[in-house]
Amino acid sequence: MKWLALPGISLKQITRHRFRSALTVAGVATGMFLYTAVQTMQHSLAAVTQSGADDNTLIVYRENRFCPTTSRLPEHYLLDIQRIEGVSEVIPIQVAVNNCGASLDVITFRGVPPESLAEYNPALTVAEGSFEQWRGRTDGALVGENFARRRGLSPGDTFEAVGVRVYVAGIVHSPLTQDNNVAYVHLSFLQQSSRVGLGVVTQFNVRVDNPELLHSVARRIDELFASDAAPTNTRPEKAFFAQTARDLIEMIAFTRWLGLGAVLAVLGLVANALLLAARGRIKEGAILQTLGFPRIAVGLIMIWEGAILGLLGGMAGCLSAVCFFRFKSFTLGNEGLTLALVPNWNVTVSGLVLAITLGLIASVWPAIVASTKPVVSSLRQG
Amino acid sequence: MTVFNPPTSSDPHGKEVFIRCRNVSKSYRKGKTIVTPLEALDLDVGRGEFLALMGPSGSGKTTLLNLIAGIDSPTTGELWVDKQNLASLKRGQLTAWRAKHCGYIFQLYHLVPILTAFENVELPLLLDRSLSRKERHSKVAAALDLVGLANRADHRPTELSGGQEQRVAIARAIVTNPGLLVADEPTGDLDRKSATQVLDLLREFSSEYRKTIVMVTHDAVAANAAQRTLHLEKGQLVEQVQITTSEPTEV
Ligand SMILES: Nc1ncnc2c1ncn2[C@@H]1O[C@H](COP(=O)(O)OP(=O)(O)O)[C@@H](O)[C@H]1O
Ligand SMILES: [Mg+2]
Repeated sequence: MKWLALPGISLKQITRHRFRSALTVAGVATGMFLYTAVQTMQHSLAAVTQSGADDNTLIVYRENRFCPTTSRLPEHYLLDIQRIEGVSEVIPIQVAVNNCGASLDVITFRGVPPESLAEYNPALTVAEGSFEQWRGRTDGALVGENFARRRGLSPGDTFEAVGVRVYVAGIVHSPLTQDNNVAYVHLSFLQQSSRVGLGVVTQFNVRVDNPELLHSVARRIDELFASDAAPTNTRPEKAFFAQTARDLIEMIAFTRWLGLGAVLAVLGLVANALLLAARGRIKEGAILQTLGFPRIAVGLIMIWEGAILGLLGGMAGCLSAVCFFRFKSFTLGNEGLTLALVPNWNVTVSGLVLAITLGLIASVWPAIVASTKPVVSSLRQG
Repeated sequence: MTVFNPPTSSDPHGKEVFIRCRNVSKSYRKGKTIVTPLEALDLDVGRGEFLALMGPSGSGKTTLLNLIAGIDSPTTGELWVDKQNLASLKRGQLTAWRAKHCGYIFQLYHLVPILTAFENVELPLLLDRSLSRKERHSKVAAALDLVGLANRADHRPTELSGGQEQRVAIARAIVTNPGLLVADEPTGDLDRKSATQVLDLLREFSSEYRKTIVMVTHDAVAANAAQRTLHLEKGQLVEQVQITTSEPTEV
């Protein structure tokens, strides 16, 4: 038996029942698109909320406040925080957003002291325009690349949002996906134009020397300001995200069920298509067995068919999901935090593997049906 | 023609027994009753013989053919084909045996509809791992040439006439060069001209390539193509020609 000939026969079954196969592949693709979309959300969320061993960033926020418009801290805390042992960098940030609730299209301005940005965020690279120009212009903005793409901005443009009018001095790229969805502006400029007033910031981002110091430094900061008029709540960046963007997280957690539904739908669809095919091909299987094909070969033709349908549908669905997220640059926002939905090759490849696996599982019963019908009685049927 | 090896001339025609049935019975369960289409049947067919089987419908012709072809097993009795007792083989062994030794031709051709004529004929060769792609292709081409359909290799069954389909099916049955061909009413669905082509082919396989052929037919003209005709009645074989000459019978 030339076992390698079997996938060839399966492929012919697929390509020569073109209409039926196209429908099945389209269904699988839709399911896998949905699944990949859900997984992309889950994965993007996990990346910003699940703490890792080398996390070294703390967010200092006003105690019991969850939205950037209500978290107000005196800018002068900066000096006190800098003095704490274990702190390597501190940057005061004023955040202005158009929408505190969960939203698909958030616009976030981060006001930072222009001289500290490069130092605090060395991974930020200017893709277009210039950093110098940004430093030199009070109303200059360094726009994250996803933000720029969504809004169709390029250097030299001006735009207005959240009641603030800025000049695009550069487009920036950062490995931290959050940075790609915000616009960095001068701190004092934002304080003035958003009318929170000079000297008031939303938060401090603090970087510690050693990840092991993360929690002790957080405690020290909160103790320092506990009896102050503006007490603080300091948390690791990912915990901060997880606690602040709760609406968003609940919503995304719910999409798991959509993902599961998509998987079950794919399974049912392929199983149904193959079962119908198997029933319609009882005689074909009997003929193959009469020619000397072992039963298992007849079953394997069905199994290969399931795997190929899974592969084709999976490729179409998972890859179109990747393209969708790559070119649409979706950002979910909540409480001033943004979650960029970034396609991820792990998610895509595992989606593809899952699609093939579903095809295989779905073909098991049809394969049994096709291969166990007695030859003699199958040949007798009309 | 390199595909089919004519047997040696020292092999006297009809003398060597190729198929031997001894006391063969076959019963089926049909609900609560048991049907026994074949009962204690004896049959000898010589190597290279072309035998026609006739009989009323439901008399067990297809059942007998299926036993000889190894797609079914007798309930009791011995069934030898070319020194192999088929009754002793398990299902998997029978399947492997069929692939090498027997070609089956059906009344309704039974080509795989999505495959071209060429691909249909190639199917049984896919079972032989020792063949290269090139060897396979030359065997398929030779078989199609033999049945006169070399120019239809790329046609699907739906693009062929019934007679052409049956000739493709014949090519598929002989492409592995089996010693035995069984045919279940191979001309039953064909017009006279196509039927004649099919019968000529079968006769050629029997006389030139010494294939042993067992053909079921309803058609006396078709039966005439064979060297011997047997009638199956009530599970027993009756030899029509010799019955009056060699053995006394009850009237
Ligand atoms: N798989 C089967 N199950 C039950 N009965 C069967 C089966 N195969 C054949 N029979 C019965 O055996 C008898 C002989 O059938 P068959 O060999 O097809 O006759 P013929 O080919 O001479 O018309 C019929 O009565 C048929 O109903
Ligand atoms: Mg019959």
